[in-house]
Amino acid sequence: MNEAYWLTNVTLESGFVFENERIDRTKTATYNMYIKNGIIKDLQLASTMPLKTDGPVHDAGKLLALPPFKEMHNHLDKTYLGLPWKSCTPVPNLIERLKLEAKELAELAETGQLRAERMLQLLLSGGATHVRTHVNIDPYIGTKNLEEIQRALYRFKGKMTYEIVAFPQHGLLRTNSKGLMRQAMKEGASLVGGLDPGGVDNNIEASLYEMVDLAVEFDADIDIHIHDPGHLGLYTIKKLASLIDEAGWKNRAAISHAFALGDVSIGESNELASELSNLGIAIMSTVPINRVMPPIDSLHEKGVHVALGCDGFYDSWSPFGTGDMLEKAGRLAERYNWKDEYALSQSLQFITGGVKTLDHEGNRLWPKVGNDASMVFVDASCAAEAIARRSTRAAVMVDGNLVYGGLDRESALKSN
Amino acid sequence: MNRIYWLKNVRLECGYRKENERVTGTITGLFHLLMEDGRITKIVKDGDAIRDDLPVEDAKGLLALPSFIEKHVHLDKTLMGDVWRACTPSSSVIERFENEKRVLPSIATSTCKRAESLLEILLASGSAHIRTHVDIYPEAGLQNLEQVQQALAGYSNRLSSEIVAFAQHGLLRSGSVKLVREALRNGAGIVGAVDPATVDNNIEASLVQLMDLAVEANADVDLHLHDPGHLGTFTMKRLAALTKQAGWEGRVALSHAFGIGDVSREEAYELADILREAGISIVTSVPINRQMPPVDLLHERGVEVSVGNDNIFDVWSPLGNGDILERAGRLAERFKWIDEVSLSRTLGYITGGKTPLDDKGNQVWPKVGDAGSLVLIDASCSAEAVARRSERKAVIYKGNLVSGSLYKQKQSIER
Repeated sequence: MNEAYWLTNVTLESGFVFENERIDRTKTATYNMYIKNGIIKDLQLASTMPLKTDGPVHDAGKLLALPPFKEMHNHLDKTYLGLPWKSCTPVPNLIERLKLEAKELAELAETGQLRAERMLQLLLSGGATHVRTHVNIDPYIGTKNLEEIQRALYRFKGKMTYEIVAFPQHGLLRTNSKGLMRQAMKEGASLVGGLDPGGVDNNIEASLYEMVDLAVEFDADIDIHIHDPGHLGLYTIKKLASLIDEAGWKNRAAISHAFALGDVSIGESNELASELSNLGIAIMSTVPINRVMPPIDSLHEKGVHVALGCDGFYDSWSPFGTGDMLEKAGRLAERYNWKDEYALSQSLQFITGGVKTLDHEGNRLWPKVGNDASMVFVDASCAAEAIARRSTRAAVMVDGNLVYGGLDRESALKSN
Repeated sequence: MNRIYWLKNVRLECGYRKENERVTGTITGLFHLLMEDGRITKIVKDGDAIRDDLPVEDAKGLLALPSFIEKHVHLDKTLMGDVWRACTPSSSVIERFENEKRVLPSIATSTCKRAESLLEILLASGSAHIRTHVDIYPEAGLQNLEQVQQALAGYSNRLSSEIVAFAQHGLLRSGSVKLVREALRNGAGIVGAVDPATVDNNIEASLVQLMDLAVEANADVDLHLHDPGHLGTFTMKRLAALTKQAGWEGRVALSHAFGIGDVSREEAYELADILREAGISIVTSVPINRQMPPVDLLHERGVEVSVGNDNIFDVWSPLGNGDILERAGRLAERFKWIDEVSLSRTLGYITGGKTPLDDKGNQVWPKVGDAGSLVLIDASCSAEAVARRSERKAVIYKGNLVSGSLYKQKQSIER
């Protein structure tokens, strides 16, 4: 698209309609948006300000604009997307699963870029313009996956931003991977990952210590996958929190899965939530339905940043998953019975990195003049509808450029 | 479509592929099916010459699955086709009732119109049989029944259906016995009621009344039992006893049946045996916001289980998309059925038990003489279809194309 242009007829949320002091529905209005060098430079209410311009104009056809989505937990290196159908082999525990995965790593590594590109395209078509991907760093394939994934991500330059987590899937200590992890951090991974210091590494303190040590060495953020359940997981999270505090790594660590927070009493998880909130430790959840999950509602209430991800999907771990972040948000809403207008509308922030369109009073928070012109165009009347009805994504825009779909509603919907 | 035609290049499952005794995949082959008067009257392997000049439609290698069954839907409640509205929070099921009574009559579009919008969606997902509940209560009389019947009449050549006269507001509580009886005389084939304890406040009287209505009208039963824990399992046991007393084995379904998921595994096993002996089946929507019945355990004990979408965009839930294959995938995800056989067997929960292969991998569907009702899907096998929620390209009901298309590739059909 052009360097500077008017994007007309964009539907934006403009407020809430209250009935008996309860938010009953969302108000929207149609805007004309001036975009220059990828930034929203002006926002004008279409009805009051007839557009006068000699410059280029693109019509958004009254599609609703939402902030772009973030996929915060993926494994681009693992997916089978692009390969012939393959189901999974059931295993009794995580260690067996790791053994099984190890057997096919070398074979899969050959097609890493192709499979990752298929995943990225799927995520993009669902409205995600940012992906945090974990990449296996292990003794079986070394940093081969990292190279493949970097190539795939490069092909999506300008369409999607990314963070790469160097992830010692087979155990930092268990497979003695610290050297490889160092190498990965030098070769472009931006976060240090970790995995079950108890269940996999068999030494909670040493495993956590080494991980934090790596993060400090490379001045990198942390994303640790903790599946360890119950009080084992709880202890691990507490221990992590104290190390994060000691290292001064506030707002730089995330815990993925964190099942334990759902296993223990709500009193215990609330107590820990306050600590997580104070240290800015985020929780990443895939909204699992086959086990107890962390209490996202109360974590959020306590000020813990919670974000959603699809996890690796259609891989040797799970045959399910669609890569649709909006579907993920809908599942979250379903899980917590968020079914009224406000609750549905607020569930959007879990897939936008915390960006909300409206505050509780109905004042617009997004988009504002000066924001990046990055948005998802949805065939819906409001965010609540988009989440509940998993509305069609017609187009995705990044920095003023269309990177998926089209703005002509008819053709966009057909092309899907 | 023609009364008789060849549907060629249909992918059918032929067996499981095994490596070291473990199933690693599904073997399929291409076949040509002769569709005649709504039935499959010949099945020939690709490569065998077709020696006639009957019309031909091309499935172009798409996989055929038996058409799906939507076992629990409320066509009269949906807002589909109308404007977006979220749900109003309510503190109790009774408050939700009152809210629904108020909202539904105030909507501009007719019940019939909205039911049609939903039917179109259900059909596109592959459901060619639908069990719908219609609310019967004094304020609405038989209006919902009539409106839904009107909608279904327009679809009678595209899908089959059964209607449950459903006393949503309590058979006893809302004093709807007479109306339900009337509904049963006017086309509803099944009698339905809700929570004998929580809603009707008299378990025994409510259940006896329900069974009386069923016997009187020679109708099947579908009881929506949300009552939790032991309250629910007690009610199930009483229903089982009354079912046997009436000789109604094989004619009673329990929707939701949350109670079985709340009690211990031992109690659930005991209850499963009781349900099987009374021929009571379970219908679940695979809820993720509470405990659900242990479908694995029920299946193991021989209790028939099927899946339905339940509320789809109505005053009870703003969610739901009518895709029954998605629900099957959710069931598999919930119970960690991730291997080829488990995924493949999951299909049976949305087809009334009909699957292309039996559990040993023998081909059992389709057979010559079977109804020509199938879904053509862009997948290599059932397991993939369930796990990957594969795209439904066409739905054929009794030989007729009723949703989707066979010509999307825009290639000419050889005749």
